[in-house]
Amino acid sequence: MAEIVAGIACSHVPFMASPKQWERLPEAVRTNLRSGFERARKILEGSHPDVLITFADDHFDRCFYDNLPAFLVGVGEEASGPAVPGFDLPDVCVPIASNLARFIVREGLEGGVDFAFSEELALDHAEMAPMIHLTPRWDIPIIPIVVNAFAPPMPTPKRCFDVGAFVGSCIERWPEKTRVVFLGTGGLSHWVGPPQTGKINEEFDRWFLDCLARGDSEEATSRYARYEDLEAVAGNGGHEIRDWLAVAGAMPAHLKPAVLAYEPVKQWSTGTGIMAWSA
Amino acid sequence: MSRYQIDKLLRDLRRDPELATRFRTNVETVLDSYKLDAAESALLKGWEVRALYDRGVNPLLLLLAHGPAAGKSMQEYAAAMNPKHRPGD
Repeated sequence: MAEIVAGIACSHVPFMASPKQWERLPEAVRTNLRSGFERARKILEGSHPDVLITFADDHFDRCFYDNLPAFLVGVGEEASGPAVPGFDLPDVCVPIASNLARFIVREGLEGGVDFAFSEELALDHAEMAPMIHLTPRWDIPIIPIVVNAFAPPMPTPKRCFDVGAFVGSCIERWPEKTRVVFLGTGGLSHWVGPPQTGKINEEFDRWFLDCLARGDSEEATSRYARYEDLEAVAGNGGHEIRDWLAVAGAMPAHLKPAVLAYEPVKQWSTGTGIMAWSA
Repeated sequence: MSRYQIDKLLRDLRRDPELATRFRTNVETVLDSYKLDAAESALLKGWEVRALYDRGVNPLLLLLAHGPAAGKSMQEYAAAMNPKHRPGD
């Protein structure tokens, strides 16, 4: 039987891929975030995962308005990245746990989640920037699931939580002995491109982290359920909390959540957080 | 306004360095490939990012395309989008 052994959620600021960008941070901020990623990496590695399932969004480099799924599962043999070079992202090629990925898609289509799927899904900085710090050897088979948290209209926060829960239930039904870790990336509050670019809403970020740390998914998914309300309080980048909510939905009760680090990073113009669910 | 056509052009400028170069050197040949009216073309040629944003163009695409196609910095983008705003404040 497969089992979910840990979960991690964190921001995916592309700057975190660049050593020079880390040097821009005040020492206390840099130390706190590096410590958070180190703790998350140890939780991940200590869980001895066979598969890493990612919930991450896109930045119009993989999906566009000509064809834009709400939830897109990579089912091919491997995932290469980055989709578009930049930000000091390395060229990587990660194996996909293809059989389990196809199982999830089929379970969804037969069970009420109409996943789109791709035989050739590239990786984006949304997966890669955190994975540089969490899985630096790029050797854990992945199942990349792209969540539309960037191009309105989007699935609601509650829907993302529920789809995460559904994927979690798929793991429980997967008959092979497989240890699975979930990784959700994005957020927290940030404005990318609009007049408020550079703004961070620390109050929102801490509220959201507190909701997840308390396991209060009802509050986390309902207070800013409307697209416009979330956009106003957390920015167009804040919609990426959908990726965190999907992980929260997948987590079994015995894995306990904890916030590992948070910093409102002015130099990266992003409320930057890291949390984990572990036994 | 052809918001989709503008978003599409911005996406292409971000992904295609040759197209971004041509936008700076021979802009008409680029704009002719998209279904844009005269007003839209004028806003794009002048990189009127705030006016484009106010008309519903996606701000992420504006930001991503602005550097490679306009040849301007993030600070110049922020100033054009919001003259009162200083990034990091």
